[in-house]
Amino acid sequence: MSETARLWHTIDASETIADASDPVSVRLADRVAAALAEVDDPEMPGISIVDLGLVEHVSVNDAGEVTVGLIPTFTGCPALAMIRDDVERAVSEVRGISRVEVRFLDSPAWSVERVNDRARARLGAELGVAVQVGSSPVQCPRCAGTTEAVSMFGPTRCRSVARCRTCGEMVEVMRS
Amino acid sequence: MTTTTAPPASTGRRWDDLAAFMEFLEDDGIVEASDHPPEEYRTEVFKFIELHANSELMGGLTERDWIPRAPGLRRKMAIIAKTQDEIGHAHLLYMVAADMGVKTRDQMLVDLLAGRSRFHNVFHYPAVTWADQVAIAYLVDAAALISQQAVFKVCSYGPYRRILKRIVAEEGFHMRHGEELLMTFAEGTEIQRAMFQDALDRWWLPALQLFGPDSKPDDELIRFRIKSEPNEVLRDRWVQKYAPLLTGYGFEIPDPDLRHDPETGRWEIGSIDWSHLTATLDNAGPDSARRIRDAAEHWEDTRWVRDALERTGEAA
Repeated sequence: MSETARLWHTIDASETIADASDPVSVRLADRVAAALAEVDDPEMPGISIVDLGLVEHVSVNDAGEVTVGLIPTFTGCPALAMIRDDVERAVSEVRGISRVEVRFLDSPAWSVERVNDRARARLGAELGVAVQVGSSPVQCPRCAGTTEAVSMFGPTRCRSVARCRTCGEMVEVMRS
Repeated sequence: MTTTTAPPASTGRRWDDLAAFMEFLEDDGIVEASDHPPEEYRTEVFKFIELHANSELMGGLTERDWIPRAPGLRRKMAIIAKTQDEIGHAHLLYMVAADMGVKTRDQMLVDLLAGRSRFHNVFHYPAVTWADQVAIAYLVDAAALISQQAVFKVCSYGPYRRILKRIVAEEGFHMRHGEELLMTFAEGTEIQRAMFQDALDRWWLPALQLFGPDSKPDDELIRFRIKSEPNEVLRDRWVQKYAPLLTGYGFEIPDPDLRHDPETGRWEIGSIDWSHLTATLDNAGPDSARRIRDAAEHWEDTRWVRDALERTGEAA
């Protein structure tokens, strides 16, 4: 197995760009991470899968072989095949990349805590979707008022429905 | 499902007359749930959202019919998710519609299940084979998306506009799914290709009619900035996209007068037979009675779930 001799570099997608003196695999990993940051959730245009916390790790060796470890929001999420296709396409276009493998990982489990601040801000401002953290009441993305739960079930498995007590807005809430 | 929370406090804006209100709309004004728009506006917008909500619900139930029959686990997962999407959209839309104070959510559902309300023409036809579901996912979802995009572009009713933004994003996802399904058939065996051709023969016209007849020059929905473009423009956008795609895959569009104008590059369709559309929309279409009956039975069958959720909600 030639792979065992390769130098692998693994990062999580939040790491910053390495400097040019780093080994080839480090620079490749940074380019892959940058490409992944451009992959949006298929149901939420403008919201990156990295910001949603779906990317657990990226492993790159100096021959340009990449493994991307993704964690699904929910088992049975229907968007997984599309996310895999989108990731494969985006990463295979990165200069220096020869092979892409996307793996869906069983652990850790995804939870809303993995959604970063940028995604939270965009979900609220652009799609009117709030993020449920813990059991505290969700803030209305429109007027910052408190909301009350309306239904455990929203249009997708990872969302419930709430309503703002102040402005009456229907708020979809991302939950785990 | 808990009951509707009270609509927001009535602190909103009022307009002296229709002219003042129209001026507000022309300046890209957005009406909010707490406002007091003129009665004509309230009635038109309510009717439009109710039709949309009913169609999402009936569409979701159509998808649901196919969960046990969808070929393979991946297709089943996708169709379960689509069902949840449509029902979820219906739920949000009914809440927003109810806030307009014309009908309560319960009244809207009672009317729908009693056959007194309208829903989109495409849900009044039987889906005979899995290829019909493919035609629906590929053609009808695309038609719905084009219509919804045109509403979202100008929509003057804020609560509806904001829900539409998410619906349009999710419908884009459905379209990718529809394209993937179509490719299976287009690149499939002769039997698969023949199955899709049969389905296309059944669904081309209903999909074309989803846009409705040509808009009247004084279309209230355009005037009130609910729709941005007349029906015929939207319908044409769909034809120009899908006629070349379908013929390119080697399927035959069931319109003997369809032709490609080499000079303009446009696809010209023959005249559309509208004679059945009104009856279909009045719930006398080929599959209307069964659909409504099934929806009503489903509503009764799932009552215990709503009751249980309600009780859990009260206990919490």
